[in-house]
Amino acid sequence: SVQDGSSNNAKTLSSLQVDERRAPLKSWANACGPKECWQSVVDESRMALIKMEPERRWVCIWSSACVSPLMLSSPPFCGADGCMEESVFLYPHGLQGLHSLQALVPSLLRREVEMALEKLDLIFDHTYAWELFLDMMESQKHHTLSNADLPQHFTDATRAILVDWLIQVHEMMHFQDETLYLAIHLLNRSLRQVKVTTANLQLLGIVCLFIAAKKEECLLPEVSELCSLMDHTYTKHQLLRMERKVLSVLKFDLSYCPPLHFLLLFASIARCSDKVVWMGRYLLELSLFEGQCVVFLPSQLAGAALCLARQVLQEPPTPEGEAAWCLAFSIHIGSEMVLLSIMRILASAAAKAQTQDTCATFIKFSSPETMHVSRHPALNIATGVLDVWS
Amino acid sequence: MAHATSIQYEPVAEIGGGAYGTVYKARDTESGQFVALKSVRVQTDQNGLPVSTVREVALLRRLEQFDHPNVVRLMDVCATKRSDQETKVTLVFEHVDQDLKTYLERAPAPGLSPERIKDLMKQLLCGLAFLHTNRVMHRDLKPENILVTSQGQVKLADFGLARIYSCHMALTPVVVTLWYRPPEVLLQSSYATPVDIWSTGCIFAEMFRRKPLFCGDSEVDQLGKIFDVVGLPPEEEWPTDVTLSRKNFPPLLPRPITDVVPEINGQGAQLLQKMLTFDPLKRISALNALEHPYFQDEETLTQTKS
Repeated sequence: SVQDGSSNNAKTLSSLQVDERRAPLKSWANACGPKECWQSVVDESRMALIKMEPERRWVCIWSSACVSPLMLSSPPFCGADGCMEESVFLYPHGLQGLHSLQALVPSLLRREVEMALEKLDLIFDHTYAWELFLDMMESQKHHTLSNADLPQHFTDATRAILVDWLIQVHEMMHFQDETLYLAIHLLNRSLRQVKVTTANLQLLGIVCLFIAAKKEECLLPEVSELCSLMDHTYTKHQLLRMERKVLSVLKFDLSYCPPLHFLLLFASIARCSDKVVWMGRYLLELSLFEGQCVVFLPSQLAGAALCLARQVLQEPPTPEGEAAWCLAFSIHIGSEMVLLSIMRILASAAAKAQTQDTCATFIKFSSPETMHVSRHPALNIATGVLDVWS
Repeated sequence: MAHATSIQYEPVAEIGGGAYGTVYKARDTESGQFVALKSVRVQTDQNGLPVSTVREVALLRRLEQFDHPNVVRLMDVCATKRSDQETKVTLVFEHVDQDLKTYLERAPAPGLSPERIKDLMKQLLCGLAFLHTNRVMHRDLKPENILVTSQGQVKLADFGLARIYSCHMALTPVVVTLWYRPPEVLLQSSYATPVDIWSTGCIFAEMFRRKPLFCGDSEVDQLGKIFDVVGLPPEEEWPTDVTLSRKNFPPLLPRPITDVVPEINGQGAQLLQKMLTFDPLKRISALNALEHPYFQDEETLTQTKS
């Protein structure tokens, strides 16, 4: 019966690779029924506070915010932990505007970070904004893996197929983006710590998504729905056993600072256009497919995605835009070398995204709501652009 | 997993019946260290571990990253199945031999010195301020779950458990001490982090008195003993969302706190009064308490800063 199980599952996974891969999603959606049938999370948890009005959180924030020059009067900031003493990387369009700013950068930046976090609705209380930011910068260090090695019997390609499937399930469930980033983070960690056969890989993946949803979402799918998503390859019992196993192995450590939060923060400070932000989000999500990206800090992935997005789109520069950009990237997130190598990975992922079997993210970001960013012609030659530039 | 846990942690002794289940002292066979094992039995339905449990335990794990000197280390967590309806979540904490209760009992005749009390209070409030800024409340603070290491370092234990237990606790009648409960909990009104400050105030007084401050044997009796000292609060401070009426209590005026804690100095009495304030919104916060002149007038032992 073990044999049966594994061949069954192999079929489930491999069937995802073929062209009619997206067809089952429709049937999955039907099987899941309307959202009202989902179990609702009655926990009065503190999470509920952050999770209210998810739309408002990311959508209306890009209307251009005005910064008053009164920021000069903001309290002086001492670069306590060296987070930002070292200015800046990458000035693709020159340094104009930076010079006069340099002296003001720390307090200016602090104010900007606080405003951005508030706009992004990531804080309860304005007074704690700066502490939250320092905490984000610090705690993200716990969220990288020391190497990109997978257990021997798994390849990056297998992992990418699983990630692709999870992205589709995530999209179909209308989960928030944080849930996806957390799920893949949990997957990356548990792949290395839980002993699973290839046959149980899909089970591990869905359990990571389920746990991430328990941490982040207000509405949860039923376990039986998850099982039917996988053609009942696994029983509910198996799924719940895997849940206990993953939680125990991870010691319930589910904290994560999603790179998306850094991206939106940087973009907000840098006054990026909607299109740059969508392009950045697309490139950042592509990083989930790349096994080698697990060693980078979330802020580095975000910074690189945003830089590349700007490179690709080549929007005409304005003095204010350049100044804001320089300010945002006075936050020291890593060496140029590191950022450039991430940009190379993302550029080559974007160049081949359309032709890959694993194209859930490409399709997601080709919609009108995402400004068709994944179909932007410059992405095909993005690697070349980088080479010239560096 | 159950197997692995029972192998890694070898029970040595039962160390208390706690409100939430038995606590075991055990030896970690990998490191040789002693640990305290606390098990929570959680009702599970067909959708696995409840969301509240997942989030609360994850929050305790997150606190670990900060490595705060005044909270007890959470070393491991494990979920095992007991039946289709029940999952056991085992929390593995660092084990500290002595709690504040025994520490106070063991103190020779005149009791603890004022400097020692100040240092203990400072550490206690540091731990509490840390928990409160991370939106964790203790809700059951008492000398038994304030640990004191042999070096005199204070470590808070059992914080955050109340929330994990409350939603899914097995329905066994438990005897819980009322002595450190604030009025809003006794009145079953809504409550938040100020509950812990009330308990801290009771413990502060107890360090001088070497016996508990308010020893009620029922909710109403406990409230009566409280009002006996802090006075019956004015009508406008009485919570509106409670069933127990203010008219049940005699109209008592507040007594000077030094009547019940004669050994305390002026600054200390002032701070204690701010902690034992009936209205939780007017009660001092842990952070503000640490700023109080009581802690600043002279040099204090600063073990928390090591």
